[in-house]
Amino acid sequence: MRPYLATLRRYGWLVGAILALVWGAGLASAYIEYTTTFESEATIWVLRASPELLVTSPNDPSAPILQTAASQQADLLDQLLLTQSFVRDVVQKTSLAAALAAAQDERRFLASVGKSFQIDTHGTNLLTVAYVSHDPRIGPEMVNAALAVRADRVAQASVTFSAAASTLYQQQLEVAQAQALDAQKKLDAFDAENAFPLSDIQQHQRDQLRLALDFAQVRLSDIRGRIDQATLAPAVLAVSGMEFQVVDQPRVENTPRGGTKPAAMTAAIAFAAGAALVTLLVLLGTILPSHATGPGDVARLAPMKLIASVPRVSLVRGSADAADVRASLAAIAFGGGRDQARPSR
Amino acid sequence: MSADDSMTRAFDGLASRIDALGARSVGFTSALLGEGVSTVALGTALSLADLRGDDVLLVDGNWLQPSLTEDAGLETAPGLADRLARTTELDAAIRRTAGSRVAFLPVGDRTRIRPALRALGSFVATETGSFETVVVDLPPILAGEPFVLPWAAVLDQICVVLREEATPLPMLQQALGRLHATNAPCIVLNRAKVASIDVPAKLIAART
Repeated sequence: MRPYLATLRRYGWLVGAILALVWGAGLASAYIEYTTTFESEATIWVLRASPELLVTSPNDPSAPILQTAASQQADLLDQLLLTQSFVRDVVQKTSLAAALAAAQDERRFLASVGKSFQIDTHGTNLLTVAYVSHDPRIGPEMVNAALAVRADRVAQASVTFSAAASTLYQQQLEVAQAQALDAQKKLDAFDAENAFPLSDIQQHQRDQLRLALDFAQVRLSDIRGRIDQATLAPAVLAVSGMEFQVVDQPRVENTPRGGTKPAAMTAAIAFAAGAALVTLLVLLGTILPSHATGPGDVARLAPMKLIASVPRVSLVRGSADAADVRASLAAIAFGGGRDQARPSR
Repeated sequence: MSADDSMTRAFDGLASRIDALGARSVGFTSALLGEGVSTVALGTALSLADLRGDDVLLVDGNWLQPSLTEDAGLETAPGLADRLARTTELDAAIRRTAGSRVAFLPVGDRTRIRPALRALGSFVATETGSFETVVVDLPPILAGEPFVLPWAAVLDQICVVLREEATPLPMLQQALGRLHATNAPCIVLNRAKVASIDVPAKLIAART
Protein backbone atom coordinates (compact mmCIF):
# COMPACT_ATOMS: atom_id res chain seq x y z
CA MET A 1 0.00 0.00 0.00
CA ARG A 2 2.86 2.32 0.80
CA PRO A 3 4.26 2.44 -2.76
CA TYR A 4 0.83 3.34 -4.09
CA LEU A 5 0.49 6.13 -1.56
CA ALA A 6 3.96 7.35 -2.48
CA THR A 7 2.97 7.38 -6.14
CA LEU A 8 -0.22 9.22 -5.26
CA ARG A 9 1.81 11.86 -3.40
CA ARG A 10 4.32 12.08 -6.23
CA TYR A 11 1.63 12.71 -8.83
CA GLY A 12 -0.48 14.79 -6.45
CA TRP A 13 -0.79 17.77 -8.77
CA LEU A 14 -1.55 15.60 -11.77
CA VAL A 15 -4.13 13.62 -9.82
CA GLY A 16 -5.69 16.84 -8.63
CA ALA A 17 -5.76 18.20 -12.16
CA ILE A 18 -7.33 15.04 -13.55
CA LEU A 19 -9.98 14.92 -10.85
CA ALA A 20 -10.70 18.61 -11.18
CA LEU A 21 -11.02 18.29 -14.94
CA VAL A 22 -13.08 15.10 -15.12
CA TRP A 23 -15.21 15.62 -12.05
CA GLY A 24 -15.64 19.30 -12.76
CA ALA A 25 -16.71 18.63 -16.33
CA GLY A 26 -19.02 15.85 -15.16
CA LEU A 27 -20.66 17.94 -12.48
CA ALA A 28 -21.06 20.84 -14.88
CA SER A 29 -22.62 18.54 -17.48
CA ALA A 30 -24.92 17.06 -14.85
CA TYR A 31 -26.00 20.51 -13.71
CA ILE A 32 -26.66 21.64 -17.27
CA GLU A 33 -28.53 18.42 -17.98
CA TYR A 34 -30.69 18.88 -14.90
CA THR A 35 -31.50 22.54 -15.47
CA THR A 36 -32.28 22.19 -19.17
CA THR A 37 -34.44 19.07 -19.05
CA PHE A 38 -38.21 19.38 -19.15
CA GLU A 39 -40.69 16.54 -18.86
CA SER A 40 -44.25 16.74 -20.10
CA GLU A 41 -46.66 14.09 -18.91
CA ALA A 42 -50.18 12.91 -19.68
CA THR A 43 -52.16 10.84 -17.21
CA ILE A 44 -54.50 8.28 -18.76
CA TRP A 45 -57.31 6.24 -17.27
CA VAL A 46 -58.03 2.84 -18.82
CA LEU A 47 -61.44 1.43 -17.86
CA ARG A 48 -61.06 -2.26 -18.63
CA ALA A 49 -58.63 -4.75 -20.00
CA SER A 50 -59.10 -5.25 -23.71
CA PRO A 51 -59.65 -8.89 -24.62
CA GLU A 52 -57.86 -8.29 -27.92
CA LEU A 53 -54.65 -7.46 -26.03
CA LEU A 54 -54.58 -10.47 -23.68
CA VAL A 55 -51.14 -11.98 -23.61
CA THR A 56 -50.65 -15.70 -23.38
CA SER A 57 -47.86 -17.57 -21.72
CA PRO A 58 -45.30 -18.96 -24.17
CA ASN A 59 -45.16 -22.14 -22.07
CA ASP A 60 -48.89 -22.63 -21.97
CA PRO A 61 -50.75 -20.67 -24.68
CA SER A 62 -54.08 -21.70 -23.25
CA ALA A 63 -53.39 -19.90 -19.99
CA PRO A 64 -53.59 -16.10 -20.34
CA ILE A 65 -51.17 -14.03 -18.29
CA LEU A 66 -52.97 -11.77 -15.89
CA GLN A 67 -52.59 -8.17 -16.96
CA THR A 68 -54.16 -5.04 -15.66
CA ALA A 69 -55.82 -2.60 -18.01
CA ALA A 70 -53.03 -0.09 -17.44
CA SER A 71 -50.21 -2.57 -18.03
CA GLN A 72 -51.86 -3.75 -21.27
CA GLN A 73 -51.94 -0.28 -22.69
CA ALA A 74 -48.46 0.52 -21.37
CA ASP A 75 -47.05 -2.58 -23.05
CA LEU A 76 -48.84 -1.68 -26.27
CA LEU A 77 -47.38 1.83 -26.25
CA ASP A 78 -43.92 0.57 -25.35
CA GLN A 79 -44.00 -1.84 -28.27
CA LEU A 80 -45.30 0.77 -30.66
CA LEU A 81 -42.50 3.14 -29.65
CA LEU A 82 -39.99 0.47 -30.65
CA THR A 83 -41.15 0.68 -34.24
CA GLN A 84 -39.71 3.33 -36.51
CA SER A 85 -42.93 3.80 -38.47
CA PHE A 86 -44.89 4.70 -35.34
CA VAL A 87 -42.24 7.12 -34.08
CA ARG A 88 -41.94 8.63 -37.56
CA ASP A 89 -45.70 9.21 -37.68
CA VAL A 90 -45.53 10.80 -34.23
CA VAL A 91 -42.65 13.10 -35.17
CA GLN A 92 -44.34 14.16 -38.39
CA LYS A 93 -47.28 15.44 -36.40
CA THR A 94 -45.02 17.76 -34.38
CA SER A 95 -42.65 20.67 -34.92
CA LEU A 96 -39.78 18.17 -35.01
CA ALA A 97 -40.84 17.09 -38.50
CA ALA A 98 -38.40 19.54 -40.04
CA ALA A 99 -35.60 18.22 -37.87
CA LEU A 100 -36.47 14.68 -38.93
CA ALA A 101 -36.38 15.66 -42.58
CA ALA A 102 -33.00 17.32 -42.08
CA ALA A 103 -31.54 14.47 -40.03
CA GLN A 104 -28.66 12.69 -41.74
CA ASP A 105 -29.25 9.49 -39.79
CA GLU A 106 -33.00 9.05 -39.55
CA ARG A 107 -32.73 5.76 -37.70
CA ARG A 108 -30.66 7.31 -34.92
CA PHE A 109 -32.94 10.32 -34.73
CA LEU A 110 -36.04 8.15 -34.37
CA ALA A 111 -34.33 5.93 -31.81
CA SER A 112 -33.43 9.00 -29.80
CA VAL A 113 -37.00 10.23 -29.91
CA GLY A 114 -38.33 6.80 -28.94
CA LYS A 115 -36.05 6.67 -25.92
CA SER A 116 -37.28 10.06 -24.77
CA PHE A 117 -40.73 8.62 -24.12
CA GLN A 118 -41.42 7.10 -20.77
CA ILE A 119 -44.48 4.94 -20.06
CA ASP A 120 -45.32 4.12 -16.46
CA THR A 121 -48.27 2.42 -14.82
CA HIS A 122 -49.72 3.57 -11.55
CA GLY A 123 -52.06 0.95 -10.12
CA THR A 124 -54.40 -1.16 -12.18
CA ASN A 125 -56.00 1.45 -14.40
CA LEU A 126 -53.77 4.51 -14.43
CA LEU A 127 -50.78 5.10 -16.67
CA THR A 128 -48.65 8.09 -17.58
CA VAL A 129 -47.03 8.89 -20.91
CA ALA A 130 -44.14 11.34 -20.56
CA TYR A 131 -41.69 12.89 -22.96
CA VAL A 132 -38.35 14.38 -21.87
CA SER A 133 -36.61 17.03 -23.93
CA HIS A 134 -34.51 20.14 -23.61
CA ASP A 135 -37.28 22.25 -25.16
CA PRO A 136 -40.31 22.57 -22.87
CA ARG A 137 -42.63 23.15 -25.84
CA ILE A 138 -41.81 19.86 -27.52
CA GLY A 139 -43.03 17.59 -24.71
CA PRO A 140 -46.77 18.26 -24.95
CA GLU A 141 -46.61 18.07 -28.75
CA MET A 142 -44.92 14.69 -28.64
CA VAL A 143 -47.23 13.19 -26.03
CA ASN A 144 -50.36 14.35 -27.80
CA ALA A 145 -49.01 13.15 -31.13
CA ALA A 146 -48.15 9.74 -29.70
CA LEU A 147 -51.66 9.32 -28.29
CA ALA A 148 -53.19 10.45 -31.54
CA VAL A 149 -51.12 8.11 -33.66
CA ARG A 150 -51.90 5.29 -31.27
CA ALA A 151 -55.60 5.95 -31.61
CA ASP A 152 -55.27 6.01 -35.40
CA ARG A 153 -53.38 2.75 -35.36
CA VAL A 154 -55.95 1.06 -33.13
CA ALA A 155 -58.83 2.25 -35.30
CA GLN A 156 -57.04 1.21 -38.46
CA ALA A 157 -56.32 -2.20 -36.99
CA SER A 158 -59.96 -2.71 -36.05
CA VAL A 159 -61.18 -1.75 -39.51
CA THR A 160 -58.70 -4.06 -41.16
CA PHE A 161 -59.65 -6.85 -38.78
CA SER A 162 -63.38 -6.46 -39.44
CA ALA A 163 -62.87 -6.32 -43.20
CA ALA A 164 -60.85 -9.51 -43.15
CA ALA A 165 -63.39 -11.21 -40.91
CA SER A 166 -66.27 -10.14 -43.16
CA THR A 167 -64.54 -11.56 -46.21
CA LEU A 168 -63.93 -14.85 -44.47
CA TYR A 169 -67.49 -15.12 -43.18
CA GLN A 170 -68.89 -14.24 -46.59
CA GLN A 171 -67.06 -17.15 -48.12
CA GLN A 172 -68.27 -19.44 -45.36
CA LEU A 173 -71.83 -18.14 -45.91
CA GLU A 174 -71.74 -19.04 -49.59
CA VAL A 175 -70.64 -22.55 -48.78
CA ALA A 176 -73.27 -22.91 -46.08
CA GLN A 177 -75.97 -21.60 -48.44
CA ALA A 178 -74.96 -24.16 -51.06
CA GLN A 179 -75.04 -26.91 -48.49
CA ALA A 180 -78.50 -25.84 -47.24
CA LEU A 181 -79.88 -25.64 -50.82
CA ASP A 182 -78.47 -29.04 -51.62
CA ALA A 183 -80.03 -30.53 -48.49
CA GLN A 184 -83.39 -28.95 -49.38
CA LYS A 185 -83.24 -30.36 -52.93
CA LYS A 186 -82.48 -33.82 -51.67
CA LEU A 187 -85.43 -33.68 -49.28
CA ASP A 188 -87.78 -32.40 -51.99
CA ALA A 189 -86.62 -35.13 -54.38
CA PHE A 190 -87.20 -37.78 -51.77
CA ASP A 191 -90.72 -36.48 -51.11
CA ALA A 192 -91.48 -36.52 -54.83
CA GLU A 193 -90.27 -40.04 -55.30
CA ASN A 194 -91.99 -41.57 -52.28
CA ALA A 195 -95.72 -41.44 -51.68
CA PHE A 196 -97.18 -41.27 -48.21
CA PRO A 197 -97.61 -43.23 -45.99
CA LEU A 198 -93.92 -44.15 -45.75
CA SER A 199 -92.52 -47.39 -44.55
CA ASP A 200 -90.25 -47.42 -41.49
CA ILE A 201 -87.13 -47.47 -43.64
CA GLN A 202 -88.33 -44.64 -45.85
CA GLN A 203 -89.35 -42.61 -42.80
CA HIS A 204 -85.87 -43.08 -41.35
CA GLN A 205 -84.23 -41.91 -44.61
CA ARG A 206 -86.47 -38.86 -44.70
CA ASP A 207 -85.61 -38.00 -41.08
CA GLN A 208 -81.90 -38.16 -41.99
CA LEU A 209 -82.38 -35.75 -44.89
CA ARG A 210 -84.45 -33.45 -42.72
CA LEU A 211 -81.75 -33.45 -40.04
CA ALA A 212 -79.04 -32.56 -42.59
CA LEU A 213 -81.21 -29.68 -43.80
CA ASP A 214 -81.73 -28.43 -40.25
CA PHE A 215 -77.96 -28.53 -39.55
CA ALA A 216 -77.24 -26.58 -42.75
CA GLN A 217 -79.82 -23.96 -41.84
CA VAL A 218 -78.47 -23.61 -38.30
CA ARG A 219 -74.95 -23.12 -39.63
CA LEU A 220 -76.23 -20.60 -42.15
CA SER A 221 -77.94 -18.69 -39.38
CA ASP A 222 -74.76 -18.81 -37.24
CA ILE A 223 -72.61 -17.40 -40.01
CA ARG A 224 -75.08 -14.64 -40.67
CA GLY A 225 -74.85 -13.72 -36.98
CA ARG A 226 -71.08 -13.59 -37.14
CA ILE A 227 -71.23 -11.38 -40.19
CA ASP A 228 -73.45 -9.02 -38.27
CA GLN A 229 -70.95 -9.04 -35.38
CA ALA A 230 -68.03 -8.34 -37.69
CA THR A 231 -69.89 -5.41 -39.16
CA LEU A 232 -70.53 -4.09 -35.67
CA ALA A 233 -66.92 -4.68 -34.46
CA PRO A 234 -65.51 -1.28 -35.49
CA ALA A 235 -68.29 0.39 -33.62
CA VAL A 236 -67.61 -1.83 -30.60
CA LEU A 237 -63.88 -1.03 -30.72
CA ALA A 238 -64.70 2.62 -31.04
CA VAL A 239 -66.57 2.25 -27.79
CA SER A 240 -63.47 0.57 -26.37
CA GLY A 241 -61.44 3.60 -27.45
CA MET A 242 -63.66 5.71 -25.27
CA GLU A 243 -62.30 3.71 -22.39
CA PHE A 244 -58.82 5.16 -23.01
CA GLN A 245 -59.36 8.53 -21.43
CA VAL A 246 -56.70 11.22 -21.02
CA VAL A 247 -57.37 12.50 -17.50
CA ASP A 248 -54.57 15.09 -17.38
CA GLN A 249 -53.44 16.70 -20.60
CA PRO A 250 -49.69 17.28 -21.07
CA ARG A 251 -48.59 20.83 -20.30
CA VAL A 252 -45.68 23.08 -21.16
CA GLU A 253 -43.42 22.83 -18.09
CA ASN A 254 -41.53 25.95 -17.11
CA THR A 255 -39.46 24.41 -14.33
CA PRO A 256 -36.83 21.73 -14.98
CA ARG A 257 -38.15 18.27 -14.41
CA GLY A 258 -37.24 14.75 -15.38
CA GLY A 259 -33.49 15.41 -15.63
CA THR A 260 -32.54 14.00 -12.25
CA LYS A 261 -31.80 10.52 -13.50
CA PRO A 262 -29.65 11.47 -16.53
CA ALA A 263 -27.89 14.13 -14.46
CA ALA A 264 -27.13 11.64 -11.72
CA MET A 265 -25.95 9.17 -14.36
CA THR A 266 -23.67 11.79 -15.92
CA ALA A 267 -22.21 12.71 -12.54
CA ALA A 268 -21.73 9.06 -11.60
CA ILE A 269 -19.99 8.31 -14.90
CA ALA A 270 -17.70 11.31 -14.45
CA PHE A 271 -16.94 10.29 -10.87
CA ALA A 272 -16.16 6.73 -11.94
CA ALA A 273 -14.08 7.89 -14.90
CA GLY A 274 -12.02 10.23 -12.72
CA ALA A 275 -11.47 7.56 -10.11
CA ALA A 276 -10.54 5.05 -12.82
CA LEU A 277 -8.05 7.42 -14.42
CA VAL A 278 -6.40 8.17 -11.09
CA THR A 279 -6.31 4.48 -10.21
CA LEU A 280 -4.74 3.71 -13.56
CA LEU A 281 -2.21 6.48 -13.10
CA VAL A 282 -1.27 5.27 -9.63
CA LEU A 283 -1.05 1.66 -10.77
CA LEU A 284 1.12 2.44 -13.78
CA GLY A 285 3.14 4.94 -11.78
CA THR A 286 3.83 2.27 -9.19
CA ILE A 287 4.33 -0.72 -11.44
CA LEU A 288 6.33 1.13 -14.07
CA PRO A 289 8.25 3.74 -12.08
CA SER A 290 10.50 5.98 -14.07
CA HIS A 291 12.32 7.11 -10.95
CA ALA A 292 13.58 5.39 -7.83
CA THR A 293 11.14 6.27 -5.09
CA GLY A 294 12.74 4.18 -2.37
CA PRO A 295 14.69 1.06 -1.48
CA GLY A 296 11.94 -1.05 -3.05
CA ASP A 297 12.71 0.33 -6.49
CA VAL A 298 16.46 -0.09 -5.98
CA ALA A 299 15.86 -3.77 -5.28
CA ARG A 300 14.86 -4.11 -8.93
CA LEU A 301 18.44 -3.36 -9.89
CA ALA A 302 19.65 -6.76 -8.65
CA PRO A 303 22.35 -8.03 -8.46
CA MET A 304 23.34 -4.51 -7.48
CA LYS A 305 22.64 -4.03 -3.81
CA LEU A 306 21.59 -0.96 -1.90
CA ILE A 307 24.39 -0.33 0.56
CA ALA A 308 22.92 2.68 2.34
CA SER A 309 20.67 5.68 2.09
CA VAL A 310 21.76 9.23 2.72
CA PRO A 311 18.93 10.84 4.66
CA ARG A 312 17.69 14.36 4.36
CA VAL A 313 19.71 16.50 6.72
CA SER A 314 18.42 19.41 8.73
CA LEU A 315 20.64 22.07 10.17
CA VAL A 316 20.23 23.10 13.75
CA ARG A 317 18.42 26.21 12.66
CA GLY A 318 15.65 25.02 10.43
CA SER A 319 15.82 22.71 7.47
CA ALA A 320 18.53 22.78 4.87
CA ASP A 321 18.64 22.01 1.20
CA ALA A 322 21.43 20.12 -0.51
CA ALA A 323 23.45 23.25 -1.12
CA ASP A 324 23.49 24.04 2.61
CA VAL A 325 24.69 20.53 3.38
CA ARG A 326 27.39 20.69 0.76
CA ALA A 327 28.62 24.08 1.95
CA SER A 328 28.72 22.89 5.56
CA LEU A 329 30.64 19.73 4.65
CA ALA A 330 33.07 21.71 2.54
CA ALA A 331 33.62 24.08 5.43
CA ILE A 332 34.40 21.15 7.73
CA ALA A 333 36.77 19.46 5.28
CA PHE A 334 38.47 22.43 3.72
CA GLY A 335 38.08 24.99 6.49
CA GLY A 336 38.99 28.41 5.18
CA GLY A 337 39.62 27.08 1.70
CA ARG A 338 42.29 29.12 -0.04
CA ASP A 339 43.57 30.51 3.26
CA GLN A 340 43.78 27.36 5.35
CA ALA A 341 44.38 24.55 2.86
CA ARG A 342 48.10 23.96 2.68
CA PRO A 343 50.43 21.44 1.14
CA SER A 344 50.75 18.42 3.40
CA ARG A 345 54.44 18.35 3.72
CA MET B 1 24.97 18.17 18.81
CA SER B 2 26.61 20.82 16.61
CA ALA B 3 25.70 21.55 13.04
CA ASP B 4 28.93 19.91 11.91
CA ASP B 5 28.05 16.71 13.77
CA SER B 6 24.62 16.80 12.22
CA MET B 7 26.17 16.96 8.77
CA THR B 8 28.62 14.09 9.18
CA ARG B 9 26.15 11.89 11.09
CA ALA B 10 24.07 11.75 7.94
CA PHE B 11 26.82 9.74 6.31
CA ASP B 12 27.64 7.48 9.26
CA GLY B 13 25.45 4.68 7.97
CA LEU B 14 27.13 4.68 4.60
CA ALA B 15 30.60 4.91 6.19
CA SER B 16 29.82 2.02 8.51
CA ARG B 17 28.77 -0.16 5.61
CA ILE B 18 31.93 0.67 3.68
CA ASP B 19 33.98 -0.02 6.77
CA ALA B 20 32.22 -3.36 7.18
CA LEU B 21 33.06 -4.26 3.60
CA GLY B 22 36.72 -3.71 4.48
CA ALA B 23 37.22 -1.54 1.43
CA ARG B 24 40.25 0.72 1.55
CA SER B 25 39.59 2.57 -1.67
CA VAL B 26 36.07 3.64 -2.60
CA GLY B 27 34.89 5.56 -5.64
CA PHE B 28 31.58 7.39 -5.95
CA THR B 29 29.91 7.88 -9.29
CA SER B 30 26.42 8.17 -10.73
CA ALA B 31 24.50 7.74 -13.94
CA LEU B 32 23.91 11.41 -14.62
CA LEU B 33 25.04 14.79 -13.40
CA GLY B 34 23.40 16.33 -10.37
CA GLU B 35 22.93 13.19 -8.29
CA GLY B 36 24.92 14.52 -5.33
CA VAL B 37 28.00 12.34 -5.83
CA SER B 38 30.55 14.94 -4.68
CA THR B 39 28.53 15.72 -1.58
CA VAL B 40 28.22 12.03 -0.74
CA ALA B 41 31.95 11.49 -1.32
CA LEU B 42 32.80 14.46 0.86
CA GLY B 43 30.47 13.47 3.66
CA THR B 44 31.57 9.85 3.57
CA ALA B 45 35.23 10.85 3.72
CA LEU B 46 34.55 12.94 6.82
CA SER B 47 32.54 10.19 8.45
CA LEU B 48 35.09 7.49 7.60
CA ALA B 49 37.86 9.63 9.13
CA ASP B 50 35.88 9.79 12.36
CA LEU B 51 34.96 6.13 12.24
CA ARG B 52 38.41 4.73 11.51
CA GLY B 53 40.26 7.36 13.53
CA ASP B 54 42.74 7.83 10.74
CA ASP B 55 43.45 10.21 7.90
CA VAL B 56 41.35 9.81 4.77
CA LEU B 57 42.53 10.88 1.34
CA LEU B 58 39.74 12.50 -0.65
CA VAL B 59 40.61 12.52 -4.35
CA ASP B 60 38.77 14.68 -6.87
CA GLY B 61 38.79 12.39 -9.89
CA ASN B 62 35.98 14.22 -11.65
CA TRP B 63 37.56 15.24 -14.94
CA LEU B 64 34.28 16.74 -16.18
CA GLN B 65 33.12 18.85 -13.28
CA PRO B 66 35.64 19.02 -10.40
CA SER B 67 33.31 20.66 -7.93
CA LEU B 68 35.27 19.59 -4.84
CA THR B 69 38.34 21.32 -6.20
CA GLU B 70 36.23 24.42 -6.76
CA ASP B 71 34.83 24.18 -3.24
CA ALA B 72 38.36 24.07 -1.86
CA GLY B 73 39.40 26.98 -4.05
CA LEU B 74 42.19 24.93 -5.65
CA GLU B 75 41.30 25.26 -9.31
CA THR B 76 44.83 26.23 -10.28
CA ALA B 77 46.69 24.11 -7.75
CA PRO B 78 48.57 20.99 -8.87
CA GLY B 79 46.66 17.81 -8.29
CA LEU B 80 45.91 14.30 -9.48
CA ALA B 81 46.38 14.99 -13.15
CA ASP B 82 49.77 16.51 -12.50
CA ARG B 83 50.79 13.58 -10.36
CA LEU B 84 49.67 11.08 -13.00
CA ALA B 85 51.70 13.09 -15.51
CA ARG B 86 54.67 12.91 -13.11
CA THR B 87 55.02 16.68 -13.04
CA THR B 88 54.57 17.07 -9.31
CA GLU B 89 55.07 15.14 -6.12
CA LEU B 90 52.06 13.67 -4.41
CA ASP B 91 52.80 15.23 -1.05
CA ALA B 92 53.04 18.62 -2.69
CA ALA B 93 49.63 18.18 -4.32
CA ILE B 94 47.76 16.89 -1.29
CA ARG B 95 46.15 19.64 0.81
CA ARG B 96 45.50 19.31 4.50
CA THR B 97 43.34 21.54 6.62
CA ALA B 98 44.07 22.24 10.25
CA GLY B 99 41.74 20.25 12.49
CA SER B 100 40.52 18.03 9.67
CA ARG B 101 41.47 14.40 9.13
CA VAL B 102 40.52 14.61 5.48
CA ALA B 103 43.46 15.23 3.17
CA PHE B 104 42.37 16.49 -0.22
CA LEU B 105 43.92 15.89 -3.62
CA PRO B 106 42.50 18.31 -6.20
CA VAL B 107 42.04 17.34 -9.80
CA GLY B 108 44.96 19.45 -11.09
CA ASP B 109 45.55 20.39 -14.69
CA ARG B 110 43.14 18.08 -16.56
CA THR B 111 44.55 19.01 -19.94
CA ARG B 112 47.84 17.26 -19.19
CA ILE B 113 46.67 13.69 -19.13
CA ARG B 114 43.67 11.40 -18.97
CA PRO B 115 43.45 8.78 -16.22
CA ALA B 116 44.90 5.48 -17.47
CA LEU B 117 44.53 2.10 -15.89
CA ARG B 118 48.24 1.48 -15.27
CA ALA B 119 48.94 4.87 -13.76
CA LEU B 120 45.85 4.70 -11.58
CA GLY B 121 46.74 1.20 -10.39
CA SER B 122 50.12 2.39 -9.25
CA PHE B 123 48.62 5.51 -7.71
CA VAL B 124 46.02 3.67 -5.63
CA ALA B 125 48.12 0.68 -4.62
CA THR B 126 51.49 2.31 -3.99
CA GLU B 127 51.53 6.08 -3.83
CA THR B 128 48.55 6.44 -1.48
CA GLY B 129 49.78 3.61 0.70
CA SER B 130 50.19 5.90 3.67
CA PHE B 131 46.42 6.41 3.84
CA GLU B 132 44.16 3.76 5.36
CA THR B 133 41.26 5.06 3.34
CA VAL B 134 41.01 6.61 -0.12
CA VAL B 135 37.74 8.15 -1.30
CA VAL B 136 37.45 9.18 -4.97
CA ASP B 137 34.84 11.51 -6.46
CA LEU B 138 34.19 10.39 -10.05
CA PRO B 139 32.25 11.84 -12.98
CA PRO B 140 28.92 10.36 -14.04
CA ILE B 141 29.17 7.13 -15.99
CA LEU B 142 27.04 8.03 -18.98
CA ALA B 143 28.76 11.37 -19.48
CA GLY B 144 32.31 10.38 -18.55
CA GLU B 145 32.65 6.66 -19.10
CA PRO B 146 36.35 6.84 -20.13
CA PHE B 147 37.15 8.63 -16.88
CA VAL B 148 35.26 6.14 -14.71
CA LEU B 149 36.12 2.70 -16.07
CA PRO B 150 39.85 2.80 -15.18
CA TRP B 151 38.97 3.71 -11.61
CA ALA B 152 36.40 0.93 -11.45
CA ALA B 153 39.15 -1.56 -12.22
CA VAL B 154 41.55 -0.42 -9.49
CA LEU B 155 39.29 0.66 -6.62
CA ASP B 156 38.11 -1.82 -4.01
CA GLN B 157 34.54 -0.64 -4.24
CA ILE B 158 32.49 1.50 -6.60
CA CYS B 159 29.32 3.11 -5.26
CA VAL B 160 26.73 4.45 -7.66
CA VAL B 161 24.69 7.29 -6.21
CA LEU B 162 21.09 7.77 -7.31
CA ARG B 163 18.84 10.53 -6.17
CA GLU B 164 15.47 9.55 -4.82
CA GLU B 165 12.54 10.51 -7.04
CA ALA B 166 14.89 12.03 -9.59
CA THR B 167 17.19 9.48 -11.21
CA PRO B 168 15.54 7.77 -14.18
CA LEU B 169 15.83 4.05 -13.57
CA PRO B 170 16.36 3.17 -17.24
CA MET B 171 19.35 5.53 -17.33
CA LEU B 172 20.70 4.02 -14.15
CA GLN B 173 20.38 0.52 -15.56
CA GLN B 174 22.14 1.65 -18.71
CA ALA B 175 24.98 3.12 -16.64
CA LEU B 176 25.32 0.00 -14.53
CA GLY B 177 25.50 -2.04 -17.69
CA ARG B 178 28.52 -0.06 -18.82
CA LEU B 179 30.32 -0.34 -15.51
CA HIS B 180 32.69 -3.28 -15.37
CA ALA B 181 34.01 -3.14 -11.81
CA THR B 182 36.14 -5.76 -10.03
CA ASN B 183 33.52 -5.97 -7.33
CA ALA B 184 29.84 -5.57 -7.99
CA PRO B 185 28.94 -1.90 -7.63
CA CYS B 186 26.76 -0.95 -4.72
CA ILE B 187 23.94 1.56 -4.76
CA VAL B 188 23.66 4.61 -2.54
CA LEU B 189 20.23 6.17 -2.36
CA ASN B 190 20.52 9.91 -1.91
CA ARG B 191 17.36 11.23 -0.30
CA ALA B 192 18.60 14.80 -0.06
CA LYS B 193 16.69 17.45 -1.97
CA VAL B 194 18.02 18.57 -5.30
CA ALA B 195 20.53 21.39 -5.05
CA SER B 196 19.06 24.49 -6.51
CA ILE B 197 21.52 27.27 -5.74
CA ASP B 198 25.13 28.17 -6.19
CA VAL B 199 27.26 26.01 -3.90
CA PRO B 200 30.37 28.23 -3.82
CA ALA B 201 28.22 31.14 -2.70
CA LYS B 202 26.85 29.01 0.09
CA LEU B 203 30.36 27.91 0.96
CA ILE B 204 31.47 31.51 1.30
CA ALA B 205 28.46 32.19 3.46
CA ALA B 206 29.26 29.18 5.65
CA ARG B 207 32.89 30.28 6.06
CA THR B 208 31.95 33.78 7.08
